[in-house]
Amino acid sequence: MDERERRERRRPFWYLRRKPEAVAAEVDEELEAHLAMRIEELRARGLSEAEARREALRRFGDLDAARAYCRDQDDGKEERMQRRLWLEDLRHDLRTCLRSLARAPLVSLTIVLKVGLGIGATTAIATAIHAVVLKPLPYPDADSLVRIYTDSPPNKFRFSVADFQALEAQQTQFERVAGYTERSVAWSDGATAEKLRARSVSWRYFGLLGLTPALGRDLIEADGKPGAPRTALVSHRFWTERLGGRADAVGGTVRFDGVPYTVVGVLPPRLGPLEHGIEVFTAAQWAPPPRKGPFFIITLGRLKAGAAQPAAEELRAINKRIFPLWQSSYADRRATWSMNDLKNEIVGESKTRAGLALGAVALVWLIACANASNLLVARVVSRRRELAVRSALGATRERVVRHLLAESALLAIAAAGAGAALAAAGTRLLRTFGEGYTPRAAEIGMGGGAVALLVLLAAASALLFGLAPAVHGTGGTAPSEALQGSGRTATVGLGARRLRRLLVATQFAVATPLLVVAGLLLASLQRLQRVDLGFDPRNLLGGSIYLPEAPYPEAGKVAAFWSELERRVAELPGVSGVAFADGRPPDDVGNFNNFDLEDSPTQPGGSEPVTPWLQVTPEYFRLLGVPLIEGRTFDERDGGTGSVEEAVVDRAWAKRFFPNGSAVGKRFHEGGCRECPWTRVVGVVGDVPYAGLAQPDEGSVYWPMPGRATKPNADSMVRFRYLLVRTKSNAGDLAPAIRRVLHELDPSLPISDLATQEDLVARSVQGTRSLSLLVGGLALAALLLSVIGIYGVMAYFVEQHAREVGIRLALGGSRGSVLGLIVGQGMRVAAAGVAVGLAAAFVATRLVASLLFGIGAADAPTFLAVGGLLTLAALLACLIPAARAAAVAPATVLRGD
Amino acid sequence: MSSKLPLVQGTLDLLVLGALSGGARHGYGIATVIEERTHGALDVEDGALYQALHRLDRDGLVEAEWRPSENNRRARYYALSTAGRRRLREEAVTWRRYSRAVEAVLQGA
Repeated sequence: MDERERRERRRPFWYLRRKPEAVAAEVDEELEAHLAMRIEELRARGLSEAEARREALRRFGDLDAARAYCRDQDDGKEERMQRRLWLEDLRHDLRTCLRSLARAPLVSLTIVLKVGLGIGATTAIATAIHAVVLKPLPYPDADSLVRIYTDSPPNKFRFSVADFQALEAQQTQFERVAGYTERSVAWSDGATAEKLRARSVSWRYFGLLGLTPALGRDLIEADGKPGAPRTALVSHRFWTERLGGRADAVGGTVRFDGVPYTVVGVLPPRLGPLEHGIEVFTAAQWAPPPRKGPFFIITLGRLKAGAAQPAAEELRAINKRIFPLWQSSYADRRATWSMNDLKNEIVGESKTRAGLALGAVALVWLIACANASNLLVARVVSRRRELAVRSALGATRERVVRHLLAESALLAIAAAGAGAALAAAGTRLLRTFGEGYTPRAAEIGMGGGAVALLVLLAAASALLFGLAPAVHGTGGTAPSEALQGSGRTATVGLGARRLRRLLVATQFAVATPLLVVAGLLLASLQRLQRVDLGFDPRNLLGGSIYLPEAPYPEAGKVAAFWSELERRVAELPGVSGVAFADGRPPDDVGNFNNFDLEDSPTQPGGSEPVTPWLQVTPEYFRLLGVPLIEGRTFDERDGGTGSVEEAVVDRAWAKRFFPNGSAVGKRFHEGGCRECPWTRVVGVVGDVPYAGLAQPDEGSVYWPMPGRATKPNADSMVRFRYLLVRTKSNAGDLAPAIRRVLHELDPSLPISDLATQEDLVARSVQGTRSLSLLVGGLALAALLLSVIGIYGVMAYFVEQHAREVGIRLALGGSRGSVLGLIVGQGMRVAAAGVAVGLAAAFVATRLVASLLFGIGAADAPTFLAVGGLLTLAALLACLIPAARAAAVAPATVLRGD
Repeated sequence: MSSKLPLVQGTLDLLVLGALSGGARHGYGIATVIEERTHGALDVEDGALYQALHRLDRDGLVEAEWRPSENNRRARYYALSTAGRRRLREEAVTWRRYSRAVEAVLQGA
């Protein structure tokens, strides 16, 4: 007999659940009995009935109070008993479950690991997505923050000083507006030079975002007046690591790019995602501009409550109002001002990726649950006799279901434990990994939400993989039937078979879209990696240098520095060439510029075309190995000397603007300047990507950067340059030598982003690569799980039908027909799943179309290949058990019964 | 009967446990035992006695069971549980030390 049943028998009958009324009645009865005995005693002493009753009540005291108190105590006891019994039941169930799970350790372990993986991965990715995409930005009242820009579809432009000052002066619908520009500053303590990410901000910046300095003061209006003493706030990190964390650093002077700044404040350690990695915030001093451009200010606004609509209208109105003022330098009448939710601006791009990653892990979790369910159904079926014995011995159906559900719950709890460990590791990984992709990665962490999700997923898992087998294991056949059949020959009920096949088909249906998406992503990655770079990335090293104004005030000094740097680097052993440019493939365009073609001028009010605009020294093309297609490249004469400006364009540009003829010799006005001399195209070179490998090449224009032989003048002064070095052997080895040369030349100058071109190209496809690998890995897991699922079902099917197969063979059936029969059984299930899955994939791939490159979302070869792969895998999984069935010797099976 | 002693705070539980040391009794029986052994010196209200019994039952110090009484009435019988027995022993020791201490002071006076 069960231990619990034994204990239950020992248990006094009133320990069974008693209703409160029963408790109350019992107290009444007890007190009544007491009074009766007391009265009896008193009457025996000779008191009359009435006297005895009065005396008994007197000696009792307050009857009502005593009664209430006793009931209260009994209720308390009842509750405590129930709790204890419940705990004992639980302990008992757990013990039984543990024992029965331990009897099939492999099944249990597989389920725990599979489902644990699903739960953990889903939690980790959902946590990351919550932090990066869903959570409001960590600024006070972040919903009212917007980014404001000039909208000239398909482009969004930053503001110019003219735009920003007009907005600041005329707007009424924002609580505040602020603007900023990114810059980097060189900071040196004498021994080493460091390049710092800095930001030049209008004085309302911190107030708008709700940030207050931890030390010192915020910027004030006077800080932004042109000519005022320069002021800056520094990050907490910079303050502790570079200024020694001393309070008197506030008010002190720090030199950035050689210019003295007064440190007026230190920011708190934790800022928002917008400030990620910025060490210095200087007060922007924007003088009233002589013309509308250039456009470089990122503009933010904080809306007044409920002012979204009027604010949008006001932006358009201000733009229209100031348009006539700048018509001489700006003719884009179509362009208008718009705004966008700041959170969208920050997280917008990661949304699709995040959604895809989450979808993929959730699907794998689902497959894992279906797979686990399948295993458990199989186990329930083989345990039918045990369960039948239990119910024959009087266990109710609820009790058996409860037992099976408790088993599932136990498995789910173990899986949740495994999942929690995985999720903790995963979120840490994602936080580190995410640094490169999103400024909000620092906000990723396991919080209460993650724990809640983990618990929820575990509970859902238990139900998903537990309910079907539990309901199934107890339904259908009467216990007597199950007991009568001997374990070996009892064929499984049709229900179980149908259920298991449905589960397997589901797994295939879920795995298919996952594999299709993974296939499309991997194809994109491959195409991305095969993009023709248009130059030779091997043995090429580059880094950027900025010459600050204070130590290099005039053109002569700037030019002298660049040519001396070029001479010294060229003399390094192992260097075969040196060039300068203000942009660098594959991800740094440097500048864009607009232009007006002589042959097809822009109509008044229309937008001039805009393309990447790179300034390069004459050696650039030869150094990178960009082929010359037509005309010539620059020579030492070019670059700010002649009256005719010369430009080299790439093939895409030539094709775009002169599809029917040569671009060489054509002329245009650049930068919206009609009075400037014409710029003439002198050559066409091969295409080089500057805006990322995935972007379509819209054509680039190169213009000359003063080379060695050019005479320096103020116009030709270029403070920012990439130094590009062609080496004879491994480019990375030369980095220390280049740093040394620069340090000897000017120890206060840092070199930024010193990297080989091969690394830059690899970095450029990193995002696509990691996403492809993640989804690919998940798809592979899904495929494996599905194949294991169908294998299990078929192996079981074969085992159950061994006798039937034996009879068939004995009666002269061919082994081929047996093989075909069994494989056909399995393939019908797999094919149904794959068909449903392909239909689902057709919808799913549309959602991720923006992540694809060079391949359509409905790419037929990919769909076919995935369908074929899954079918093939299913076929193999079915063939193994089928072959085993066909190989049986009929006599053995028949005799064995 | 007019000069009954009021109960010292907290001694009722000890009295009830003590009254049960001889075996299971119902509430009325316990009241009778206390009265007989003290010759009616203590003022114990029956109501307070029952409250103490139910409190002790809730705390698991006594076990209760319905049984026919000596004159065939259904009555609730209480018996010491293991925990109750242990509590009685401890409380008795404490009580004796306490009363000896009080006595010692009074004799010195």
